[in-house]
Amino acid sequence: MARVPFLLLIEDDDAVRTALEMGLTRQGHRVATAASGEDGLKLLREQRPDLIVLDVMLPGIDGFEVCRRIRRTDQLPIILLTARSDDIDVVVGLESGADDYVVKPVQGRVLDARIRAVMRRGERESNDAATFGSLVIDRAAMTVTKNGEDLQLTPTELRLLLELSRRPGQALSRQQLLRLVWEHDYLGDSRLVDACVQRLRAKVEDVPSSPTLIRTVRGVGYRLDPPQ
Amino acid sequence: MTDAPSFGARLRSRLAGLLPSLRLRLVVVFALVALTAAVSASGIAYWLNRDAVLTRAQNAALNDFRKAMEDNAGNLPRKVDCGQLREAAAKMARSSQNYQVLLVDETESGKRCAAASNLDDFALGDVPDRLRHAVEEKRPVTKQNKHPYHLYWQRITLDGDPYLVGGAKVIGEDPTPTGYLLKSLAPERDDLSSLGWSLGIATGLALIGAMLLAQAAATTVLRPVRRLGDAARRLGEGKLETRLRVSGTDELAELSRTFNDAAASLEQRVAELSAREASSRRFVADMSHELRTPMTAISAVTEVLEEEQDNLDPMIAPAVQLVVSETRRLNDLVENLMEVTRFDAGTARLVLDDVDVADQVTACIDARAWLDAVELDADRGIMARLDPRRLDVILANLIGNALKHGGSPVRVSVHTRERPDGGDGDELAIEVADQGPGIPEDVLPHVFDRFYKASASRPRSEGSGLGLSIALENAHIHGGEITAHNAPSGEGGAVFTLHLPRDARRVAEEWERENGEGTGEHPRHGGDRAQDEGEDR
Repeated sequence: MARVPFLLLIEDDDAVRTALEMGLTRQGHRVATAASGEDGLKLLREQRPDLIVLDVMLPGIDGFEVCRRIRRTDQLPIILLTARSDDIDVVVGLESGADDYVVKPVQGRVLDARIRAVMRRGERESNDAATFGSLVIDRAAMTVTKNGEDLQLTPTELRLLLELSRRPGQALSRQQLLRLVWEHDYLGDSRLVDACVQRLRAKVEDVPSSPTLIRTVRGVGYRLDPPQ
Repeated sequence: MTDAPSFGARLRSRLAGLLPSLRLRLVVVFALVALTAAVSASGIAYWLNRDAVLTRAQNAALNDFRKAMEDNAGNLPRKVDCGQLREAAAKMARSSQNYQVLLVDETESGKRCAAASNLDDFALGDVPDRLRHAVEEKRPVTKQNKHPYHLYWQRITLDGDPYLVGGAKVIGEDPTPTGYLLKSLAPERDDLSSLGWSLGIATGLALIGAMLLAQAAATTVLRPVRRLGDAARRLGEGKLETRLRVSGTDELAELSRTFNDAAASLEQRVAELSAREASSRRFVADMSHELRTPMTAISAVTEVLEEEQDNLDPMIAPAVQLVVSETRRLNDLVENLMEVTRFDAGTARLVLDDVDVADQVTACIDARAWLDAVELDADRGIMARLDPRRLDVILANLIGNALKHGGSPVRVSVHTRERPDGGDGDELAIEVADQGPGIPEDVLPHVFDRFYKASASRPRSEGSGLGLSIALENAHIHGGEITAHNAPSGEGGAVFTLHLPRDARRVAEEWERENGEGTGEHPRHGGDRAQDEGEDR
């Protein structure tokens, strides 16, 4: 994308907020900041940022709740800053609808790389369309329709569906998907894939608990089945 | 004196060997006591009764016989014939005492005549010789012995039945008649045997009663003992809240009370200890949490400083460089501390994935730019289900340690083999060998200790001092192990071997179960997993 990404940073600690703002601005981003979840939600409505960097530990409504509220209306990418890398936080965060997470203390370069990777997911690549039963993936318009209705997918969910649909019937391992979708190195957290697949299934499958499109391949990963 | 206790102890141990249970011992002792008491009481009663019954019957018969002899035999004429004798005998036998009579006398013709009241039942041959002699014998009359003849009796058995035989000679001028009586003692015998039966049955009943009592006594004693045993076992299993219900004031109640007191103080002590430990762990955890927020701010700014380094005053640049490098170290230390506190608190979780081990090792070496210093001996295609991030932590620590202390080239080889403990599934063995001098024998047992510094002379390591300890914890959470030894001299230095199960799923599930409570739960995630497993069946 040609234009400068516009980020909203929601972080309650003044020093961290200032330092991250400084670092991210130096990396070439435009940054708006908010010190609480409520302020952040207000700024989101007023300024329409491209991406949100969200601290989990916030006074008032916490990061998970902010994340859930954003997802009710918006599909913009969210990256969580977890002060604790306790696995439970990561799981709850991903289930709240976050696209990725970064563990504090954050390396500025790592955060920048994650931001750029998330932003790239919304970029269109080819101009064809694919149909899987009632599901139509339009790669030109970057839209997915099910029974003719538009599905609201986050860029990460869309990218995951695109990567799977590009290789129908072929199983992709979690690590492969992490590289393709999240652009993580070999140590990506496979729970990102699992959580995103769950969210995607909830949107595209007829019965999310017994999926017919996105199938689990035991011991390997996931595959998108071509229509029967 | 010295033998006495040992004999007692021997007896006790013999008894304990023969009667292993307290209940059996109680029953046997009760039965023995009851048997002794009942048998002696019955025996004494029987003998006293027997004596009384027999004496009374005998005396009645003998007195009656004496009187009949005086009345009948004494009045017989001196020269008597057999018919008269028989008549007299029959008359004598007609007494209420119901005995047979035999009279013997010399007839007119000088012959002896034995006349019985009933010839079929009583003949002279039935009278024992000794009795006959005693009756016939004439004793000289003295002061002590007023009469030349006396009444003698004897108990005999004829055809299996008891009889009383008595005999007396009429005192007077010879020849006088001699009379014998024969009285059946069968009624008395029957009475006595029925008495014996009754006593025997009573003894038997007493014995049964005693055994039942012993059972009841054993139960009342043993139930609290068993409860105490159960409670002690539960206490031993770690259920420190175990208490006994105390009822009564006997010794067992006292014992229960003592047990409860001991359990209470034990519980309190353990609670205090674990509270203290938990609070110290929480302190470390809180501290590292608290450190992270400022660390985040500092790191972010440090990167800015680092990028601006070239534009800085040459006097200040080294200071900035120092701040940057030390910040990074502090960052690593906090990171490692966090990791350690997660293991201590049991909140560490496995995030399993199927990975190619050779790829993982290569990526780990590649990411740290160690490719030139490491020789890798691993076939591609060895798949394992493990936590790739934790495997990377282990490998990075082991290889980094080898490079730091042993020097290059470090050899890393990957093998699979059957588990030595016979568990299901294969085991992954990753060996990291360096070319250094090896680890001193006295240091070897401590290499995995936290903050262990081998010696003051050893160069100060750049690591946090937690690396190998964290590597070991990461192996343990997989259900694996890391061992350290020195290669045979001349062939290399220290060798660290990582053993991991190829499929850590079972270990992860167990870990989840054991540490599931208190550390929060994520049912939706767990449900996802379960559903993932289920949908392919």
